Amino acid sequence: MKIKDLEKLNDEGVESLSSKERRRFLQFGLSITGVFLGGTILSLTSAPKVQGALSSGNVPMTDFPYSPHYTMVIRQNHCIDCERCLDACRSTNNVPAHGYRTTILERSVPIAQKEQRERIFMPILCNHCNRPACVRVCPTRATYKDTTTGIVLMNPDKCIGCKTCMAACPYNARYFDEGKRAIDKCNFCYDTKLKESGGKITACAAACPANVRIFGDLTDPESAAYKLIHAPEKVVWVLRPETGTLPNVFYMNS
Amino acid sequence: MISYLKTNTFPTISMNQVLIVVGLALFSGIGLSFGIHSLVVGHDHTFGTSREVPWGILISPYVFFACLSTGLCIVSSLGQVFGIETFQPIIPRTVFLALITMATGLMCITLELESPWRVGFYALLSPHQSSNIWWKTTIYSLYLIFMLFNFMSLALTKKKMAKIFAIIALVTVTMGNLNMNSDMELLGARGFWSENYMPLYFLSLSTLTGCAGILLFSWLGKTFNGQTPNIENDMALKATGKLFTVLLLGILYFTGVKIMGGFFPQFTKNPEAMSLLVQGGFALNFWIGEVGLAVLIPLALILATKGKNANILALAGVSCLIGAFVLFYDLVIVGQLIPHYYQYNVVDLPQYYTYSPSLHEIMITTGAIFFFLASFVFGEILFKKIYTS
Repeated sequence: MKIKDLEKLNDEGVESLSSKERRRFLQFGLSITGVFLGGTILSLTSAPKVQGALSSGNVPMTDFPYSPHYTMVIRQNHCIDCERCLDACRSTNNVPAHGYRTTILERSVPIAQKEQRERIFMPILCNHCNRPACVRVCPTRATYKDTTTGIVLMNPDKCIGCKTCMAACPYNARYFDEGKRAIDKCNFCYDTKLKESGGKITACAAACPANVRIFGDLTDPESAAYKLIHAPEKVVWVLRPETGTLPNVFYMNS
Repeated sequence: MISYLKTNTFPTISMNQVLIVVGLALFSGIGLSFGIHSLVVGHDHTFGTSREVPWGILISPYVFFACLSTGLCIVSSLGQVFGIETFQPIIPRTVFLALITMATGLMCITLELESPWRVGFYALLSPHQSSNIWWKTTIYSLYLIFMLFNFMSLALTKKKMAKIFAIIALVTVTMGNLNMNSDMELLGARGFWSENYMPLYFLSLSTLTGCAGILLFSWLGKTFNGQTPNIENDMALKATGKLFTVLLLGILYFTGVKIMGGFFPQFTKNPEAMSLLVQGGFALNFWIGEVGLAVLIPLALILATKGKNANILALAGVSCLIGAFVLFYDLVIVGQLIPHYYQYNVVDLPQYYTYSPSLHEIMITTGAIFFFLASFVFGEILFKKIYTS
């Protein structure tokens, strides 16, 4: 229909349109500009999918996508902050003095009575998320999810040092290694201890005298980590679940 | 361009003009040499960034110049693409400004990278199409090429060709601008801005800075070259001034939304960051830079003179540009200052991370600004005829 013909038509007005209808029209008009990847690259609205890895809406997962699907369970009330795990990580993976792949945070948590607080040591490391924000933002695929094990790995040769992955990681798990001129991070000792042990253990887990860090395979019912996570009487949680990254490092009190 | 140069005699240059270009280029060289030094020794030794705050001030000039270029392209397209005659006299200068602002922005981001030499290989050999950074760099690089062709076509007075490139550049840069928002938004894990109004805010802010840039640099160009008053040119600048005023009112609304978010957490997705911006450590930046310099002062200056005084319009432009730079600095830094584990009662964890730009970062930023100014003056000398034709 031509514009001249349109002008001859009677104006129906917008009174009969429901507000829901108007909103849907506006939303359609604004988000239609999202031409790449369903609005995750371009959009006139804040596309919910852009926040994909970070939104609170969890994706239901009925199966583990990797085999072996490596995981780590942190029994945080066992941790005494001896830092042997940190030393083992440094020496095994040649971590420079200016960075760290894993560390231990000290928490002071209020308990039942006011003014009384409990001291808790919380080891942190890369969570090897199922929906890793760092992988999503990397422009050169320097960081990627290993298709077999689900470990988030780094190819330092491809890293341009934009540090977007550092900005995107909700767990502060990455640092820039000046020696490699690339980002470095925990890789569950993929090329060191894990390789040597035939996929059984990481350096930090092996060094822990209190069995705080339990490394294992989520697809293996015989794995200690599997058993801990699936024990019905245990409460298991992940860090910063609101970011929706689906971490593979779980926390519990033993 | 070659045929243009062959058929046109080289413009006459006064000694003062030479001194200005050489001086600006020298300052630019000094500033950028700090960037080279940082590349050699590593940013750990020269930048104020850290593991917790990985992005520093150098992201700000990148975003600033990229948005400025976007705005310039949009305003130039009013005359070139949409055929509005009033805006046509300012097209050549605006296109050239858009070209050099984007070049400056890309230079800033290159110097911000720790290993920029890998970009050439792996952006092509190992592209990641889900990465907003990859799209942004690709889109802006293509835009730079299109704008270069656009300007060359204008110089050769091939209007049809220029229009085609202008259309392509406009579409490209709009995509880049919307992508930049998504890029920031994705970093929601760090309390970056993921408000619903952000895409339109970015686009209006870009057009606002574009108008401010035209008002300022047209006045500077006129002063530099000692040009006689031109009615058509003045009309174009007045029209730009009107557009500038409307956009200022729009940005005033968005600033109001920010203020609401800063005082009332229920109005924002990032209450900690917004509070830090509006009533915390960045309040001075916000109220003086983002509210005063970027919006209220230009608005007051224009309303006081009814937008008829070119000198005042230029002053409003410079005020707005300085305010916008502060805005982009806040945009980049504030979101990163919220600690990752702030809700976990971690002992000795500061309420906010801290970041201060180092000497190297400041010098590189200054060098980039001087690079842009030197390019602008160079353009005024070399393309004087094109600007006035």
